Amino acid sequence: MERAPSLHFLVHPTALSILRSDLPKVSADVAEQAANFTVRRIRTLPSHMRIGVTMIAAAVRLIGGVSPEQFIVRISHTHLPLISEYFRLIRSLSYAFIWETWPDTRHDGSTSDGSHL
Amino acid sequence: MNPTQPTQFWTEADSSSSCDVLVIGSGAGGAPTAALLAEAGFDVIVVEEGKWVEQGSVAPFSLEQMDQQYRSGGVTVALGLPSIAYTEGRCAGGGTEVNSGLYRRPPGEVIERWRDRWQINELDPDSLLLIATEVEQAIHVTPLPGPASKPSELLRRGAESLGWQFDESPRWMKYPNNDVRQGQRQSMTRTYLPRAAQSGARILTNCRVNKLHMKNTSATSAEVTLGTGKTARISFKYVFVCGGAIQTPAILQRSGLHKNIGNSLAVHPTVKLAARFSEAINIPDDVPVHQVKEFAPDLSFGGSASHAGLMALALLDQWSQFGSAIEQWRNMAIYYAAITSVGRGRVISVPGLKDPIVTYRLTRRDRELLRSGLSRLSLLMLEAGATEVFPSFRDAPIVRGRNDLTQLQNNFNAMKASVMSVHLCSTVAMGENRALCGADSFGKIHDTHNVYVNDASLLPDAPGVNPQASVMAIAIRNIRHFISHEKRNV
Repeated sequence: MERAPSLHFLVHPTALSILRSDLPKVSADVAEQAANFTVRRIRTLPSHMRIGVTMIAAAVRLIGGVSPEQFIVRISHTHLPLISEYFRLIRSLSYAFIWETWPDTRHDGSTSDGSHL
Repeated sequence: MNPTQPTQFWTEADSSSSCDVLVIGSGAGGAPTAALLAEAGFDVIVVEEGKWVEQGSVAPFSLEQMDQQYRSGGVTVALGLPSIAYTEGRCAGGGTEVNSGLYRRPPGEVIERWRDRWQINELDPDSLLLIATEVEQAIHVTPLPGPASKPSELLRRGAESLGWQFDESPRWMKYPNNDVRQGQRQSMTRTYLPRAAQSGARILTNCRVNKLHMKNTSATSAEVTLGTGKTARISFKYVFVCGGAIQTPAILQRSGLHKNIGNSLAVHPTVKLAARFSEAINIPDDVPVHQVKEFAPDLSFGGSASHAGLMALALLDQWSQFGSAIEQWRNMAIYYAAITSVGRGRVISVPGLKDPIVTYRLTRRDRELLRSGLSRLSLLMLEAGATEVFPSFRDAPIVRGRNDLTQLQNNFNAMKASVMSVHLCSTVAMGENRALCGADSFGKIHDTHNVYVNDASLLPDAPGVNPQASVMAIAIRNIRHFISHEKRNV
């Protein structure tokens, strides 16, 4: 399927940007795993939701232009319907994955021993 | 082979099969339907889109369970303002494998309302309660054999302090050695599905029904897609569609049946909060059995699964203010306020899309009820001894005392909240009122000869309590009526 790699391209960097901003001390490995999990879950969404997410994700990437990370962090706190739900979906999946996998993660993404490993 | 598992009778070489009765779906509606039909001597095939997952093989309420036993990994949404997240079981046993296992008899006044407004023939509260009693024996409905969990006792304590009505909901569980921590859910894979298999029903998992082939007013066969991706056909004399309140109307619509199909979805919307206490109270893999019914049926309070991943979700909407609380998740639990909504939704099957589009519209009254529900639930938690309450909506304050409840009420807007539901029903209401109903008084689709529905879709509206007992009792009532009338024809 052509759609699978494009969804990864569209969503994965956005998830990483949000996690790095929301949880500044999250390790790169944990953020990577959470972003991968998020993309996997979005691939299994009902078809119309997946199409909607893909369209919003594409628009976010397109409008983000050359400095997507700053743009994504800024827009990820928008209250606009649909767009806010896209970012909420990413946060929901990522946070659920992180805290279910490592329940003692602190709110900034760090752990008591400084590592998730 | 585990004796409770179905025999996979279908081989790669098969492209068709046939039976007297095809039952689509194996949850609270489909499993009793299949069992009673098979026990009455019908040749039955049960098809289930999900797989057979042994209880205990995945942690309850975990992401892995979501992957294995829920549709779309548990991420399904009814579009609206606000959108409402919901979940559907997609596995052998359906929602009975993954829900909280709490049991509520259908209220007599609700049954009378259904009978009168939707004009359901021969729907008698007393008879239905007799069937419910049978169900309770079959699935072993029982109270806890010992003390309830701490999160549950806190609900009780808060209600007692306020003088509010509460009770303990029994569950369909067996407790070996009377140990409350060893409860074994008596779901459909432990009860009605083995009964069906023992009486000769053939159960086929990983099999999705695409549509029914109709010839005039009769369905003749179902087009299915097997787990291998191969398409096949199952011929039948009768079909019972029991895929739940979302998939049942979707299948019927894909088959060309539209009259009053999918246009009256009813749910119990809920809003939630996380409450922090001064000691460890969290039980990651269970839910409270106490429920507060002071404002029922409009409004009920209960507790949810509360492991750290779910706690992070509960705090998500105000992470910058609430996030640090996650570090004390063991001192916290999640509770919900559920309302009986008068809003309605739709299930719309769109050609070319595999999954139906689901919408739901909350009314102004629903939104206000959610607001007052969250406020009252916060008060309940304070009375239970919570030191801090974290309501799940954007701009929510941390509630530390009664004075904060005014700000909570002022800041609340349903559009800012995480609204969800696990109780979906009413998409093919049953009855003789042709303006409202897609099926007749016993679940047969109006103007068809052999297409039946027998699941939560038939409930005319949301019952105001956990609907599984209502679904099972009505399914058994309907199937007995079918057997008594159709046995001679097969």
